Amino acid sequence: MGTARKRFGSTFVSATALAVSLVLVAGCGSGDDGGKARTKDGKTVISLGLFGVMGYKETDLLDRYMKENPDVTIETDVAGDEQTYYTALQTHLAAGSGLKDIQGIEIGRAKELVDTQADKFADLGKTPGTDHFLPWKSSQVTTGDGKVIGLGTDIGPMAVCYRKDLFEQAGLPTDRAEVAKLWEGDWAKYVDVGRTFKQGTKNPKVAYMDTSTGLFNAMIYGEDKQFYDEDGKLIYQDNPVVKDAWKLASDAATSGLTAKLRQFQPGWDPGLANGTFATAVCPAWMLAHISEKAGPANKGKWDVAKAPKGANWGGSFLGVMEDSPVKKQAEKLVAWLTAPEQQAYIFEKLGNFPSSKTALDMPAVANGTSPYFSDAPIGQIFGAAAKEIPAKQVLGRKDGTIKDTFSLGLQLIEAQGKSPDAAWKTTDERIQKLTR
Amino acid sequence: MATSIDPRQSRRTILHRLDLGAVPYAFIAPFFLIFGAFGLYPLLYTFWISLHRVELSSLDTMEWRGLANFTELFEDDRFWNALSNTFTIGVLSTVPQLLMALGLAHLLNYRLRGSVFFRVAVLTPYATSVAAAALVFTMLFERDFGMINWVLGFFGVDNLDWESQKWPAQFAISTIVIWRWTGYNALLYLAAMQAIPRDLYEAAAIDGASRWQQFRTVTVPGISATIVFTIVLSTIGATQLFGEPLIFGQGPNGISGGADNQYQTLGLLLYEEGWKNYQMGRASAIAWAMFLILILVFVLQRVLARVLSRTPRPAKAPRRARPSRTS
Amino acid sequence: MTTDIAPVLADAHGRTTPTAPDRRSGFRRVLRPGAGRQHHAGPVAYVLLGFAALVSLFPLYWTMVAASTDNTRVSQTPPPFLPGPNLFKNLATAWQDAALGKAMLNSLIVAGVIALSTVFFATLAGFAFAKLRFKGRNILLLLVIGTMLVPPQLGVVPLFMMMADLGWGQSLPSVIFPTLVSAVGVFFMRQYLTEALPDELIEAGRLDGAHSLRIFWSIVLPIARPPMAVLFMITFVHAWNDFFWPFIALDMTNPTVPVALTQLSAGYVRDQSVIMAGALLGTLPLLAMFLVFGRQIVGGIMQGAVKG
Repeated sequence: MGTARKRFGSTFVSATALAVSLVLVAGCGSGDDGGKARTKDGKTVISLGLFGVMGYKETDLLDRYMKENPDVTIETDVAGDEQTYYTALQTHLAAGSGLKDIQGIEIGRAKELVDTQADKFADLGKTPGTDHFLPWKSSQVTTGDGKVIGLGTDIGPMAVCYRKDLFEQAGLPTDRAEVAKLWEGDWAKYVDVGRTFKQGTKNPKVAYMDTSTGLFNAMIYGEDKQFYDEDGKLIYQDNPVVKDAWKLASDAATSGLTAKLRQFQPGWDPGLANGTFATAVCPAWMLAHISEKAGPANKGKWDVAKAPKGANWGGSFLGVMEDSPVKKQAEKLVAWLTAPEQQAYIFEKLGNFPSSKTALDMPAVANGTSPYFSDAPIGQIFGAAAKEIPAKQVLGRKDGTIKDTFSLGLQLIEAQGKSPDAAWKTTDERIQKLTR
Repeated sequence: MATSIDPRQSRRTILHRLDLGAVPYAFIAPFFLIFGAFGLYPLLYTFWISLHRVELSSLDTMEWRGLANFTELFEDDRFWNALSNTFTIGVLSTVPQLLMALGLAHLLNYRLRGSVFFRVAVLTPYATSVAAAALVFTMLFERDFGMINWVLGFFGVDNLDWESQKWPAQFAISTIVIWRWTGYNALLYLAAMQAIPRDLYEAAAIDGASRWQQFRTVTVPGISATIVFTIVLSTIGATQLFGEPLIFGQGPNGISGGADNQYQTLGLLLYEEGWKNYQMGRASAIAWAMFLILILVFVLQRVLARVLSRTPRPAKAPRRARPSRTS
Repeated sequence: MTTDIAPVLADAHGRTTPTAPDRRSGFRRVLRPGAGRQHHAGPVAYVLLGFAALVSLFPLYWTMVAASTDNTRVSQTPPPFLPGPNLFKNLATAWQDAALGKAMLNSLIVAGVIALSTVFFATLAGFAFAKLRFKGRNILLLLVIGTMLVPPQLGVVPLFMMMADLGWGQSLPSVIFPTLVSAVGVFFMRQYLTEALPDELIEAGRLDGAHSLRIFWSIVLPIARPPMAVLFMITFVHAWNDFFWPFIALDMTNPTVPVALTQLSAGYVRDQSVIMAGALLGTLPLLAMFLVFGRQIVGGIMQGAVKG
């Protein structure tokens, strides 16, 4: 054992030496977070903090910008999950460190940031060439005194994505116009079609829709008020919009029409790939995810039909931090990324629907089709849905968290067999506590 | 100290005195300084914060609330639910873990071929981080395609929804804990077993005790101290359970511990209040509640240890003479 | 979990301490497996142990299998049992997508610095508590034990605020500093040195006119090397795997490995096989360490335990 111990000892010494040198390396490497502009290879670095599929990292847009502006290098960090992203953003804002030059803002958080953090964001209202947005989009990130803290990226007009092959099996029409006709004008009809589907389908393991939360979101976001009124007062308890949506969604959940999956969680993806459900209420930005996860094997099996009513779920903004050392360059980049041409380009590539009014009229958008979704004319379908979106949606501070709480509440019914009334009570209590 | 004092070296002697007097404090100072700054001070400050309303977005504005955070906490079903979950998951993970560790240690205590392999193998899960282990087990417990449901399918159990149902979820989370820590505890027991003097076994054997009786009357009492300590340790660990349920829930469900908070632990509740609802005062109140629980556990452990050490032992207690160095 | 307290708490209540290994053979005895008395194992024991080893190792094997397939295969039943062709592709994706390269370097720095500093300060304090005489020694030692009851997690809220104030938000110092010392380590070293370091050696050193620091450097350190190595490795493992505080203190742009892994799993567009590749990658360094030093680590844990 003597030799073993000696060898062990010397290994330890060399390990120590290695660790010490690492510390030194670390010491030299850190401390670049100061207020000065960072440069890399002589280029100005602009950093972006994003979440989900916003389309900048997924396409070649950033490369193109860097090519056109050789003095700029762009670094992106993309968080998968918006909740994680927003918590990090909150802590960074609180700590005053770790902020990127440009930060993405999800619509569910817009009001909270406008109300509590507007001074940390640069005013983009006067950035040249940014008067092309849908007016309601910009008003969502405008403070009381007229400061605009972000520029719109996309909006989330909604449709219904469905599997043609599964519809056929269940004896339903497969043509998207006929399908849309089945539920035209009323979400309740969409659920009724589900009952027909359930009776007709050969495979009892295939559900009609992925989850009832998609339906709930589509219904509430078709109206101008959801959880708050204009004065910031919570009205969800009495808002008929929320009540009706809850009722229909819980109805669908208790009728066994759903696959009891959670959107954007790991079990959902194989469901898309293996066809364990036939429809998903889909905002435009969900198309990229579906095509990616359902995979090439299912190309042409999916299609998109107009939703019963127009609605808007989600959509984002890009804001520039007031203290960014490269504020001017960042503003320029944001203006470029959200310009009509770029928005149209992302729509073509991924399906994220433009929030730029100018882009909506561009042929690439208006006549856009999706090869993956059986060449569906998604430009027309989502464009029509976008026109039905109420022009002024009232946002509230805790919109995002409240929406998540309702999702949890519907899960109580769907996956845990609670009665809709009990689930509503739980949800109500939770919202009261978190807004206290 | 018995050092000779030479008048010629009086200056050295002063230094020497200083050396003997001050240096010990200097040697232990780093520990206390760092602990004070990053352990004790935050703990006390947590209590101060818990008396206020503080939001994450405006950490420097503190609004005095007195004990309101605590009274609200004690009136909140979620707190009692989290406490109860922490307790049940704690029991579900600790009891089987320690029993299995005991059995494993007993097996490892045999004269074995390849004993190094077995020891390292059962310790390997300990090298896996909470995150990696939880990710893997989350996959294994997946409802639609997980391996565990696939196996259960052969026994007529169809697509058990581990995440949604309370007890399956708590069981699955406990499994992660058990997997990671059983081997470690087994090694602790093994070490204690190896310290039991052999003659105790021989004496028992002469008295006609079977192996099982030997295990019960010699082995278990011989390592009872270690057993008590592993219970305490597992309890401390269980009180703070966080990463396993967080990752097991995947996304928003992780923080709330399931749609019905069916596996939300105190650690998760703390995180939810602080980093999802952004209420640092309420989060601090939970932290202090956890601290009080730990103290309670500690006191209970002292009592338990006292009771155990008073129970009669075999004639020769497995203690060897050692230099007295009570602390 | 904080099971690393085991060796110490055990001894904190000296009354129940069953045994002390004799001064020189303590380490060797546990390093040499099967050193105890005992019967030979029968076939049943081997079968049971084989099963335990299988249960311990299978999830890791399956991680590798899942990491080598693709998203479609991994979500089919029956699940895959044999490796597929995509291991390196998925490893590369995980490496890039989750900033795992950076995470590994960060973890190496964090765990390395914490382990080094823990070992150093623990040896220093352990030596003082074991061999130096000073007023309040016993009370201070009790205090050290008491600190084990205060897991740093309970201070997360003010810690988080402190780090923001110090300008350390989301940077490595915020996870390194709170864990630079460990009571467990102090106790561990004290126990070893009490027994392994003969008083006569120190007396001899003093007679030669050596001051305490010199004695520490040239007498204590050489003798303390084996337990220092053990403490280093165990602390390293714990620091590498630490989760709660790093999860709160760091973010995805500058994570440690466990933090990066949660980011990997919380994604919109992640493949399960890529997540598994990330889990595998993040575990590999420690697995490698276990492969090389497994016997020493086992010995170290048991050495700590024997004292309980």
